[in-house]
Amino acid sequence: MTPERWRQINELFHAVVERDPRGRTALLDEAATTDPELAAEVRSLLAVHESSAGFLDEPAWAVAPELILDTPAASLTGNQMGPYRIIREIGRGGMGVVYEAEDTRLRRSVALKALHTEYTRDPLRRERLTREAQAAAALTHPAIATIYALDEIDGALFLASELVRGETLRQELKRGPVASDRLLPTLTQLASGLAAAHAAGIVHRDLKPENIIRCRDGAVKILDFGIARMRDPDAVTEMRLTQTGMAVGTPGYMAPEQLEGGDLAPHTDVFAFGVVAWELATGAHPFGATPAELVARMADMLDGRPLTSSGIIVFRGLETVLRRCLRRNPTGRYASGHELLAALEDLRRDPSQTTPARDESGPSPRALWWWQVHQVVMACVIAALPVATWFLRQWNATAGSRMFLAVLALATVSVTIRLNLLFTSRVDHDRLAAQRARVYMVLVSVEAVLGLLLLISAALVAGTSDALAAILVTLAVATVASLGVIEPATTAAALGRERPRDGSVG
Amino acid sequence: MGEDRRLDALLPEVYEELRRLAAAYLRRERPGQTLQPTALVHEAYLRLMKDRPDRWQNRAHFCAIAAHSMRQILIERARARGTQKRGGAQPRVTLDEGLVAGVAPSVDLVALDEALERLEAIDPEQARLVELRFFGGLTIEETADAMNISPATVKRHWTVARAWLARELASAS
Repeated sequence: MTPERWRQINELFHAVVERDPRGRTALLDEAATTDPELAAEVRSLLAVHESSAGFLDEPAWAVAPELILDTPAASLTGNQMGPYRIIREIGRGGMGVVYEAEDTRLRRSVALKALHTEYTRDPLRRERLTREAQAAAALTHPAIATIYALDEIDGALFLASELVRGETLRQELKRGPVASDRLLPTLTQLASGLAAAHAAGIVHRDLKPENIIRCRDGAVKILDFGIARMRDPDAVTEMRLTQTGMAVGTPGYMAPEQLEGGDLAPHTDVFAFGVVAWELATGAHPFGATPAELVARMADMLDGRPLTSSGIIVFRGLETVLRRCLRRNPTGRYASGHELLAALEDLRRDPSQTTPARDESGPSPRALWWWQVHQVVMACVIAALPVATWFLRQWNATAGSRMFLAVLALATVSVTIRLNLLFTSRVDHDRLAAQRARVYMVLVSVEAVLGLLLLISAALVAGTSDALAAILVTLAVATVASLGVIEPATTAAALGRERPRDGSVG
Repeated sequence: MGEDRRLDALLPEVYEELRRLAAAYLRRERPGQTLQPTALVHEAYLRLMKDRPDRWQNRAHFCAIAAHSMRQILIERARARGTQKRGGAQPRVTLDEGLVAGVAPSVDLVALDEALERLEAIDPEQARLVELRFFGGLTIEETADAMNISPATVKRHWTVARAWLARELASAS
């Protein structure tokens, strides 16, 4: 086939595909009269097009994972491995396959991780793993899944740990953010687990929702503490690890210094905690929902530009804590789980920090309160204007009456609008900004005219009744000043310019 | 010319990074957690960029290299496996079987690669597009970005190229 011929086929194909079935047939029949071969070719492609939905939809490496994975581990389900009777497979992770098993010596259920053969083949790795497992096994904390043993059985390494039944926080997140009454208790538990581990000199290195299980009683437990990632300062080992397919960290949870290959310390966990906690609080990843956004924001972070983050945290105090966890510079973060825990406990003790705002995108309650007070005061002042103008009738019955009636009419309009806004702010706050925008120009015009009428009245009675003139001038100035200065200020505070949905993490 | 040579020099590195990441992704997967296809290329980009950002003109440039590398990795391996198991051990799943099962049909990658080469001879742009979409795992929008054409054009090309490839594969098996 020539490129030219292919171009013709393409053109006809698209012309046909855009039509309804009858139009398609008609167009193809028409094409067949001039070029039957072309029409037949397009007909054939169209048939395939309609029957091959889903073809090539999955990317190649997902279609053929066996080509990427060098040695797919065989399942050990049903086998007896040393003292362990393997019951079922519960997951596959970066280090190996995880089974539910029974330790027949102690008759207890364990999570048994069959480690990839790389761990037994490479003495350096093996030694390091042993050391790390020993350190991690000393950790006992309610928020950490305890490590029981590292056994070598038939030349393969098995890591036995506490079997935690429940679902991962990743699964929980699929249903949305954590309920606000559960959020702080959950975060505090996690932080206390981190604090205990950090105090023992153990860093998790790969904290993420997949590694945290919510038990049936509501408590959370962190898995794989201290052994989640093997990383060696020794460059040779590092390269070997890389070649065997181990990722050091998970994108989206890796702190900038981790991405840059720097030291992993407690503050690396603090960063990952910040990401996880943000997700739990908002249901969304702080750096965006798609890998493209994630990469863009992480690249920004590496370049030292401030990060923008998505989602809004319901508790204001918590947002401050989490933003501190997410700082680019490790020294700007909490130094360890201990400091983090202290900050979270401070939050729990201060009820003003943990009362969820009714509408997180709305004003602070205090600013709204001032705005409401302003509306009430202005409604009272303006309601008093007709009273003042009533006395004009003593000076000139006809003109005074007209002035009184005009002021009365305008004041009634103004007071009605203000009371309506006040009412809206109390019962249907979400509509307040829209409602105000609708009536604001009327309000401004009416009150401006009111001010003008009062000043004219004052000018007319000046000399005959100075006391009345003074009162009128005062009321006029108060009305206009309120309209021009105080009203914009309280409104800006209460309604804000739309609070940006994206805050800055710096 | 010089540009091409520079790209060739980068290929092995991207190749290794992608293979390693894909393996890690696949191993890491837990039940119920779906793979994010584009995450792979993005992560490779992020990792390789942090070493020497100056080598990549932009992400589109990187995506093209990554998709091409991924094609090489998979085809080489599929070929190696095919020769190992010569004698019909490798079942060729036809499109219809895949559809009946209600899952994405598995694809004979070697046959696809050969068909893609034929497509390249008549329409290099479409072949490149398929490489980005299928081997690179890019979305329609990302492919549009990488090729500097509109998403609508990507969709049009994709539709017809996919149908053509499906037919080629069906007739080959």
